[in-house]
Formats: sequence, C-alpha cells, structure tokens
Amino acid sequence: MNYQEFKKSVIKYASENNLNDYELYYSKSDETSVEIFQKEVKGFNSANNLGICFRCIVNGQTGYASTENMTEEEANSIVLRAIQNAKTLESEAPSFIHKQGDTYLTYEKEEAKIPSAAQLVDFALDLQSELYKQDERVIDGTQSYAGYSSSEKAIFNSNGLDLVDNAAFDYWYGMAIVSDGKEMYNGIHIKSGKMDNFDKAEIAKEAVKDAIETIGYTSVDSGEYTVVFSNKVMASLLSTYSSVFSAEAAQKGLSLLKDKEGEMIAAEIITLTDDPLYKEALVKATFDDEGAATAPKNVIENGKFTTFLHNLATAAKAGVKTTGNGFKASYSSPVGINHYSFYINPVKGSLDDLFEEAGNGIYITSVEGMHAGANPITGDFSLSSGGFRIENGKKAGPVKGITISGNFLQLLKNISSVGEDLKFNPVALSAHRCGSPSVLVKGITIAGQ
Amino acid sequence: MLLSQNLINEALWKASSTGADYAEIYAEYTKSKTISMVSSKVDKIADGVISGVGIRIFKGTRCISGSASSLSGEAVLSCAQKVADALLGTREMETIVLRERRFGDIHPIHIVPSSVENTVKIDLLREACESARNYHSDISQVTGSFLDVDHNILIATTEGLLAEDRQIRTRMAVSAVASKNGENQTGSCSPGGRMGLEFFELHNPKEIGEEAARQAMVMINAGYIPAGKMPVAIGNGFGGVIFHEACGHALEASSVALGQSVFTGKLGKQIANEKVTALDDGTIPNGWGSINIDDEGTPSQRNVLIENGILKTYMIDKLNGRRMGMASTGNCRRQSYMFEPTSRMTNTFIAEGTDKNEDIIASIEYGLYAKSMGGGSVNPVTGDFNFAVNEGYIVRNGKVCEAVRGATLIGKGAEILMDIDMVGQNLERAQGMCGASSGSIPTDVGQPMIRVSSITVGGR
Repeated sequence: MNYQEFKKSVIKYASENNLNDYELYYSKSDETSVEIFQKEVKGFNSANNLGICFRCIVNGQTGYASTENMTEEEANSIVLRAIQNAKTLESEAPSFIHKQGDTYLTYEKEEAKIPSAAQLVDFALDLQSELYKQDERVIDGTQSYAGYSSSEKAIFNSNGLDLVDNAAFDYWYGMAIVSDGKEMYNGIHIKSGKMDNFDKAEIAKEAVKDAIETIGYTSVDSGEYTVVFSNKVMASLLSTYSSVFSAEAAQKGLSLLKDKEGEMIAAEIITLTDDPLYKEALVKATFDDEGAATAPKNVIENGKFTTFLHNLATAAKAGVKTTGNGFKASYSSPVGINHYSFYINPVKGSLDDLFEEAGNGIYITSVEGMHAGANPITGDFSLSSGGFRIENGKKAGPVKGITISGNFLQLLKNISSVGEDLKFNPVALSAHRCGSPSVLVKGITIAGQ
Repeated sequence: MLLSQNLINEALWKASSTGADYAEIYAEYTKSKTISMVSSKVDKIADGVISGVGIRIFKGTRCISGSASSLSGEAVLSCAQKVADALLGTREMETIVLRERRFGDIHPIHIVPSSVENTVKIDLLREACESARNYHSDISQVTGSFLDVDHNILIATTEGLLAEDRQIRTRMAVSAVASKNGENQTGSCSPGGRMGLEFFELHNPKEIGEEAARQAMVMINAGYIPAGKMPVAIGNGFGGVIFHEACGHALEASSVALGQSVFTGKLGKQIANEKVTALDDGTIPNGWGSINIDDEGTPSQRNVLIENGILKTYMIDKLNGRRMGMASTGNCRRQSYMFEPTSRMTNTFIAEGTDKNEDIIASIEYGLYAKSMGGGSVNPVTGDFNFAVNEGYIVRNGKVCEAVRGATLIGKGAEILMDIDMVGQNLERAQGMCGASSGSIPTDVGQPMIRVSSITVGGR
C-alpha cells in the first residue's frame, strides 16, 4: 500500500467514525552514508524510513496514534487508537485542526543533486587520505564520513489543508585522532550543504587542528574569570535553554520567563531572532507542524523579552496569534513548540578584539554533558569544558579538565560584548538550529585544580 | 512470525548474492505508548507502532546495511537487493539452511501493558503525581509520564540462526519543581523494568512521587557547592553512572576495535583499583537493561569486565569481534531497525566490596557526598567524562552536613578507576536510557556506595 492509498483508507475510517476534525501527518527520510577506517570502506548504509501520525479532536481533546506500517488494518487501527486516547485526555489546552487561509512565505529552492554511492565512497576515501596527510601524529582510528540525506513531510487535514515540503543536503565530516605518544586526542569538523562547495583539504585541516590544538593542555586554578564563549559554545548553550522561550513551558509553569514579557531579561546588546527562512539555512520552513504559516520575529530586542514562541493552542490560551512554532519532535510526537534558525544577532568585532577586551581570562571552545549538567527549568549549568587561556589580550595555551558554572538567564544579563562571527551549530537535516557570535562575559566561576 | 520463512530465505539469498560471507535480517514490530501528565491532568498521549526491517551483510570486516519502514515482501526484498548492490562481487555462499532456535524467556511478564486500557495507567500515574504535589507547599509543578513498550524482534542470519524475542518494558517518571524566592530546583524519580504492570506491586507510585518531591525540596533549600578538587563518596544505584560513563563506553568493542579507546590492548592488565570488580549482565531476570538475545541473536551473558582491577573482557558484537578476533559477548544492540547495531551495555555495575558505608563517610575530612547522580557523558578517545550530581551534601569531619547544588564531577576514566579506593556493600541498580550511535536503548547502571579519593567538582 502506498501513502496515497493509505491516506484514502484513513479518510474512510475517519468518516465511518464520524470524525469532523482530524489531520494526517506524513514524514519520510532517505539517507545514504559511507564510513572509512584506515584506507578502506568500513561501512555503507542506506536507510529509507517513513512514519505517519493521525490525530483527531474528540470531546475537545486531541488524540494521537502513529504507525510505520501502511496496511489496511493499521489505517483502521490508528483512527480507533487516536479516538481512544482522546477520550482519556484531560488537557486544559484548547484543541485545533488548522484552517485554510494563511499566507505562506515563499523562497527559491535549488534543485538537489543526488550523489551516487560510488561518488560518496570516492569523496570519503579522498577525505581520509587528506586527514592522514595533515600531520604525522594522526593515527589509525581516524575516520571520515560522507552522506546524502533527503526528507519530505506532508500535512493533510479535514479542513482541506494539504501541504508538502521537502529538503535535501550532503554532509561530510572528518574525525581525526592524534597521539603525542602518551595520550590520544580527537577532533572533528563537519561540513553540510551542497557537496560542490565542500573543500576536502579544509575539512581535514580543521579536524586535525581541532585535535592537535589541545595537546599540552593544563588545568587552571579554581576561581572567577572573564570568559569568551566561542560562537559554537554559546550556540549550544542557547540550544539547551531554548525551551525557556516556549509558551507551552511557561503556561505549564516550567519556564523561568513566565510572566516576564516586556521585561529586560538580557544585556541591551542582545537581540535574539527566530527566522524560519534564514537565508543560509539548509532547511527552511514555510509552515509549522500543524500547518500554520511561519514568520521571522525577534524574541529579545535590545535586551527586552518581546514574545514567547507559540503554537495554536498556547496562542489561544494567551489570547495572541500563533507565531508558527508548532513542532513535532518526531512524526509520532504530540505538537509542542520549537524555534527555527534561532540566533543572537552579531554586533561587531573579531574574536581577537574580544580577547583584547578580555585582557586575561579563558576562551571556552567546548562544553560537554549538556543533557546532564545544564537544567532548563532552573537555568543552572555546571559543565565540563575546555578551551584556551587568554593572556594579555591574546589567545594562549590549551586548557582542559575544568568546569564552568552559572545560570543561563544571569549569563544573558552579564554579556558585555557580542562579536560579529555568527555561527550556527551543524545539526542533521533540520530547520531547527541555534546560532550565536562569540560573546564576552565577566565573572564566570571555573573549577579547576 | 513477523516474516514468513520463505521470505526470510529469499531475502537472505538475495542479500548474499554479491559475495557477502554473512547476511542478517532484523525485523521489528514495536508498540509503544507514553502518557504524560501535567498538574495531575493527562496532557498528551503518544501511541505508536514502529515496524520495519534492517538488513546487514558482511564481507570480512566491511559492513553494508540498509533499512526500510515496512514488513511487506516487496520492501524486504528490495532492501536486500539494495544492500547486495553495494558489494560488487559474486556469490560465495552455496546454501543457506535456517534452523529455528528458541532461547526461552527468563523475564516473565504477568500483565502485558499494551493490553491494558489507558485509565489503569493514568490512575497509577496520577497517584504518583499527586503525592509529589502534596509533599510540600513549595512544590510548584509536577510532570509525570507512564511509558510502556512491547518490542517484538526476529533475527535470521546466513549462519542458520532464526530466533525471535519479545521485550516488554514499563517505566514511570516523575519530575517535581520546587520554587522559592524566584528560584526553581528540580527533583526526579524514574524507575522501570523489563516487566508489565506488576512492576507497581514492587514500586509504589506514591513513593515514586514523594522521592521526586523530596529531592526538589532538598535542593531548593541548598546553597551552591564551592568548586575544587576533593574526595567524593558516591551513593549507590544511579551513582553507577560513573562506571557507565568513565569506563563502560570505552570497553565497548565499537571503540576498542578501532583503537579509539584508552583501553584498547589492555586485556589482562590492571586498569582499576584492586577494590573494583565490574560486570555487564544482560541475564538479570526482569532487569531494565536485560535481554534474552541480543540484536544479532546471540544469547545474553553475564560478563565480568573487570575483576579486582584486572581487565577481563570487552563488550563485543559480531562485526567488531571479527576485527578483534574475539567472539561476541551478546552485547550487540540497536534502538530499532533504523539503526545499525553495535556493541552496547545491558545492566552494568560495580560489584559489592568489603567496606562499610559508614566507614566511607567517616573517612572524608572535607568532601562531597553525591547521594543521587544525574546523567553524564564521555569522550571514549580521551576518556574525559562528566556527570551531574542531582542531590549532594558536604561532608565535614566524617559527617554528612548541608545539602549543596550545582555540583558536576569531571575527570579521566583511566584515572578515576584507579582512584576508587573504597567500595561499599549496598549494591543497587537504577534505570537509564543510553544514547550512542545505534540509538537510545534501556540500560541499568549500578553500584554500592564508593569513595573516589580525589576528583574535580565543578560548582560556584
């Protein structure tokens, strides 16, 4: 049974069960990837996966059921299971199946070129030899990867909404392992987008540099430091704490920003934007996961908290219009909220300017264990970190085996300078990602020796 | 059976047509349900079926794999063809003879959760959430979830193996938020087992809720720990996450076989303090991380990883086993058919030692008692690990004193294993979800109380 046939059957069962408000959500992904070890292909994977979610409103509640098995029996089963589930829900949030009538943004889409399996293998093998060429300390265990990924999602509902979107991209990455004879160090560099724009030598160079830079690291004395967070690290902190900007978290009493709209929550230098069509994003979104139109907006403007991110239900509860941020973590998940390209706006100055301004301090380039050491509900973080010393306004020797700690909202207030080097964290095929320039913050507690 | 024997034969024959020396079919049909509660009201229910097939072929140490979200004959054969097409040789295997094997089920299930209506689960969850809410007036919010999974798998290989397993799991998770003076702190409790609803005869929902609330209340009234290096006593149960992160991942063949682990080439050598004996045991009846067979069809085993400080074995899957010249230890696992399987942990824990818990605390002049741990992560190449302390106390002059927040423990796996210098006697296991390349899988961590002589504690 293909999706069109399955959809017809679901519509038939929905009507047999007298459902007036329902939606069918379809998502499909195809991925081909190759992995190199030593000088050979170690692994080759080709995955074709799909999933379908049905939801319907019964007695004012939205029941969900999903499947990956497109059979007549399952078409009937997801309708019945969704009805059953709706009947046991007690949510106070209003339920919606989105109506037609939104004006959707548009953008120009480039045609995707699908690389052949042989091409992927060749690219990855070349990248692998580039990695070994970079430095004599590169050892076996070093690996390179190349892949192609495409996805499609479709929303069809009882109000006649019928939307389809798709995206595709290539990715390459190198994972270098180097040894100084005593210890091993690893580094990684990922490039995603259009393969034609990738430079193997550059990926190899950056991956090996990432590993080698940390050789000879030391710890620092525990204490308070002026810190420059690299763009990558600041973006991943933002990502970890992005749920504080969700109206759903706020309405459930799980956000520190509850009731703070209109207040100064960050330094004046901070403007935070959510842009579903950010021009360099590999995946853009013109409609959200309940079919509502998306739009760019500032969430923080010159330090002032302007709006939560909303879906239809939270917007109705707050008496505002949806911001088009309805989001399903996977096709089977109930609708929640998420950002798109979500970034702190660049201001001015290079990284060197920030070091100059810091004088003496620590440049943090890696943080680990976000899921454990950073808590979005309390805002607290205490994270294993690494980076470099900043001495007399210049980047100095590597630092490892330290932790940084603080509170995310306090950190937003304490940012004294924002650089111009905006960078987004590379995430797999997703419209949802965070970005930031490097930032300077005073008074961060560091634990070391 | 998830697939007919004719289809299995045909697919294996096709998959091995281009020179593979091993082909394997993994078919899955999984039902899962998650009921979420906010403010004692059922907020969301996710109810899904995951089904599809994953096919792998090996040629030496090279692996080609594919997956498809369907169990139809057409989809399975097309997946087999696609995998075969990536290898450009000619058939080596003459015949394939399948022999069905039944390994039995050492994890009896009394009440299969997927056959029980929502209301029964909702009542259990509500009891837990309400007991958390009623624990103290400073508890400002409680969220909870009830998860059950009915995971059916079939594995067939050109070695002739044909086996099935049904893995049923139940888990309840409660998270409580305490608020005071504009600050929030959280506490959580989330026990689970390879069991049905009878799990709640052993684990009272009321106690689950109270434990989450108790922890949030301790933390809202706690100050921040001053950062520094100090001795740490780590409590039993989830404290075992230290071994899981600091050592477990680096003993998985997926990193050992490629020389990406600090423990590569260390078999028979001392890698831990002689007080440390550690195991990975997938055969514990009804254990959260237990399996009858792994995802390559190898029966699960009780593996002694470290005995009195000496490295005895790694956790090995078939593919990495080829590279290492060692047999599988029954540790090959995958989240679902979509993920390529590899060596993973099951129930991993430090065995009981000879020290008394009170002696461990009494031995610390100034340090931390990490009563309850959060999650963590590790870089297996460097051994750098980190994990969070959910509930911690300062120890002064051998006595447990005030509660402290914000502690994170960091270090290097190889070093911390040598620094575990006291091991207590109250072994307990706790449940977690472990994420790695082959997806998110249920694993138990565990240990009795232990002492680490010196570790960097992040705080402020």
